[in-house]
Amino acid sequence: MKEITLTIQRFDPAKDETPHQETYTVSVNEGARVLDALDEVRRSLDPSLMYRSCCRAGQCGSCAVRVNGNPALACMQEATDGMIVLPLELPVIRDLATDIAPVLERLATILPSDSPQSLSKEEVELIKPLRECIECLSCVSVCPALKVVDFAGPTAMRQQMRCALDPRDSEDRITEAIERGLFACTTCHRCVEVCPKKIKIPGKAIEKLRERANRAGLTLPRHQAVAELVERTGRSVERTEATFLEQVPEVIEPDGPVKMTIGFFVGCMFNGRVPQPALDAMEVMKRNGIRVIIPHEQVCCGSPLIRTGQTTILPDLKKKNIEAFTSRGIDTVMTMCAGCGATLKNDYDTPFTVMDITEVLEKVGIEPPAKLPISATYHDPCHLLRGQGISEPPRHFLSMVVENYIPMPTQCCGAGGGVRSGQPEEAAALGKLRGEAIAATGADIVVTICPFCEFHIQEQTDKPVKNLATLLLEGYRKKDQEEKGN
Amino acid sequence: MGVITTEDCHVLVIGSGGAGIRAALEAAQYGETILIGKTIAGKGGCTVMAEGGYNAVLREADTITGHLEDTLKGGAYLNDRTLAEVLVNEAPDRMADLIRMGAVFDAEESCMIAQRPFGGQRFPRTCYAGDRTGHEIVMTLLERLRASDVIIRNEITALELATDESRVCGAITSTRDGGIGAIAADAVVLATGGAGQIYDITTNSTAGTGDGYALGFRAGAELIDMEMVQFHPTGAVHPYDARGRLITEAVRGEGGILKNVQGERFMSRYDSQRMELSTRDVVARSIATEVLEGRGTEKGGVWLDVTHLPPEEIEARLPSMLEQYLAFGVDIRKEAMEVAPTAHHMMGGLRITPSCETTVPGLFACGEVAGGVHGANRLGGNALAETQVFGRRAGEAAGRSKEEKREIDPTQIEAVEQRIAAFGAGEMKPSDCVARMKRAMWDGAGIYRTAAALTTTREAILDLAASPLAASSGPEILDAWTAQNMLLVAGMILDGALMRQESRGAHVRSDCAVRWGVEDSPYGHTRISPSYRGIELIGRIA
Repeated sequence: MKEITLTIQRFDPAKDETPHQETYTVSVNEGARVLDALDEVRRSLDPSLMYRSCCRAGQCGSCAVRVNGNPALACMQEATDGMIVLPLELPVIRDLATDIAPVLERLATILPSDSPQSLSKEEVELIKPLRECIECLSCVSVCPALKVVDFAGPTAMRQQMRCALDPRDSEDRITEAIERGLFACTTCHRCVEVCPKKIKIPGKAIEKLRERANRAGLTLPRHQAVAELVERTGRSVERTEATFLEQVPEVIEPDGPVKMTIGFFVGCMFNGRVPQPALDAMEVMKRNGIRVIIPHEQVCCGSPLIRTGQTTILPDLKKKNIEAFTSRGIDTVMTMCAGCGATLKNDYDTPFTVMDITEVLEKVGIEPPAKLPISATYHDPCHLLRGQGISEPPRHFLSMVVENYIPMPTQCCGAGGGVRSGQPEEAAALGKLRGEAIAATGADIVVTICPFCEFHIQEQTDKPVKNLATLLLEGYRKKDQEEKGN
Repeated sequence: MGVITTEDCHVLVIGSGGAGIRAALEAAQYGETILIGKTIAGKGGCTVMAEGGYNAVLREADTITGHLEDTLKGGAYLNDRTLAEVLVNEAPDRMADLIRMGAVFDAEESCMIAQRPFGGQRFPRTCYAGDRTGHEIVMTLLERLRASDVIIRNEITALELATDESRVCGAITSTRDGGIGAIAADAVVLATGGAGQIYDITTNSTAGTGDGYALGFRAGAELIDMEMVQFHPTGAVHPYDARGRLITEAVRGEGGILKNVQGERFMSRYDSQRMELSTRDVVARSIATEVLEGRGTEKGGVWLDVTHLPPEEIEARLPSMLEQYLAFGVDIRKEAMEVAPTAHHMMGGLRITPSCETTVPGLFACGEVAGGVHGANRLGGNALAETQVFGRRAGEAAGRSKEEKREIDPTQIEAVEQRIAAFGAGEMKPSDCVARMKRAMWDGAGIYRTAAALTTTREAILDLAASPLAASSGPEILDAWTAQNMLLVAGMILDGALMRQESRGAHVRSDCAVRWGVEDSPYGHTRISPSYRGIELIGRIA
């Protein structure tokens, strides 16, 4: 037995105006789960504590709560000393029990035709991953889109796709999915992160439904315009100034000895819309012994097309990009756009290794820059944090280059998944939430790695939004000046 | 407290697991149907937790007779033969229903539903959806339920059945907060599942508290074979709080082997023919014997090993097992699982006809709350089939009931309120009472039983039942009410076990010398009702 202290949010809407937190100390067995700790609180301290549990084996989805900020099944998550247990972000019935039934009742139900029909093995294998949902609604609790627009939520989209994939179903699921908010998903993948069954709803349901919408001619006009642009120019954004590729040679040699050689995949935003951070990054590479090879025939990675379901020209883009690097014998390709990086890593089958710029810098080990006399917070790009699992390296470099790093809770800024172009009001509403979070940190600047986030957040905050590479370069320049001064 | 809700309907279904939902879907074709359950529909019963599969004869090479014989033999010939026949005859049709409703079972290249071998069966006839078969069935039923006219009342507990001159005419209910209500109905279907929670170590969900046995009994219905408690051979052993968690029979179906601490594949000594895929009663006893005789692990289990299987196969066929064990820090692709028997299924229950009528007019029962289908031991894969076969039958029979007055006698509601009021004067916490009962039942009415231990346990349960329970808030009142239901059911298990002086199927009386093979047993069902208790004698005692 061991003693643990836990804090639980208590709330009885019939009596309390607002929820409050209470702290309890209980004895639990080694290996006890959160649910065992709740049971013990109820048994020994307060029998009025309300929460749900049924199967105690992670199969019924009754007991999802937030533990230290993240949804988890109370029956599977190990109890830890000091943990804070809150209800899911859904209307609270009392304490940790939330009103999940109305959400469940709205899920699509397959409408099978009358004749019994068996599925083929292939059909079963396609549907199965979408069938594992235990309807715990952890995904609904965390979905950022749901906070600002009318969206049925991640698991509702999973269910739409489950029906759409089933040859027995006789309904038009695509129109229905669009009515329920198919284009509201920013593909931030937060739902996958918290799903106890790790169901890849954005990739296996939302993007696939958008593909079907595309085949049915139901792609949003603004998304279509992007696809037409890519088809015409190989790029997803119009050039507004001299592009990055027009400004750089094919090979950039480092100042000192070569420690590493990488190919650089620049991406459309850094190429055509905001080349400066990419140019700054090249300076950082030079300074740290990294030789950069930049094939000029590279094109859009296809991410804006995959996220919006417009995948017909995708094979062509992939082929061009892969050949651009393989033909030069490059074995490591660096990205500095989180979206391109996630796409090359997850949607491509590349014969080379793909690394984010922070991974490259971490691997090589960089010369420490001078510390800038500012406080900075960091915005996690979804396609870096969850798309590539990169969280620590950017924070590490940021702490190296600013005097004061202030953490900020992670949330999607609203720019991804085609939402910025397709549903600008939603993107702005999510951006506004980010703006408020940034203001709450009191930081002088916001740093991020994704050009989409950077561009989008800048519209919603009066603080400068900077790329990490730019900041590192500023640190080096300060260092040089200080050394010159000495 | 006063009645806060009164409503009426044609059919009231109590219990929202696999059998209850199936019954409600069927009943709704005949008239207004209300489905109540103490959890959110689909989440509470054991169906959603069932992993392994659903037995049905689907292939030319298999036969209905074979399924029947396996079921009767597995049940040590205590089964109600007619019910077993219904089960095996209709299981394929109900599987077809599920497929028609949209279920996604694993399929073979030929589009045939895939089937795996399960214990005690001559043919691989267990249909499955990975190792989440019950979940697949519940999801399918829920989709249909949400699209149906059935009125779903989540988190409503049935406290008592209401009767009108010995006919069941509805139920007196409670919300989570103890708000009393009443639902009048022309017919009531009990589908409340089993009672594993009466034991300290169980696979059952927290809802498996045997309420339906208690409600049916108090309404005058007869129960049979309550002593027949199946101990699943393979439950988790640690961590302590996860003890008893089901390790599906599919692990053995897919080739898992059992070993004692000496590394010996001990099943060869107990059933060299069927080995790990012997019937559950045999495997559970074998494991218990290994542990009792000192060949178990330190924590009192044995090893269940799949590490010889290719990792991909484990990932594809046993994903839930893999995931659950990983959450507890064990990678079953590389390490063996530590397992021991765990209370799993009640073979006994309310006596029913093939139309699911209980012995009380107006009351129907289906699923685990009903007895007789499985005899003295249930085959793995027959319970999910039972939920669908008898769920449909109960729903149909209840639906065909004629319209009644739809009134509930207020004095019966008052009686419930008086019982609740008495909790105000009690002293023992319901949770303490339940903890003591679970321990006593595990120690005294487990796999090996003797008259002496059963009698001591019976006295302990009577003592607990005589100690007034304390409860003030709504949720505590439900706890106390449930505890009293559990004590009543524990008593039935003990009484049945004392009456049955033979070893048969899951019931082993180590103090009784048995002079007959199970096929020739002179005993029939044990019977318990408010007015009678005894064991049927169907032959001459040798």
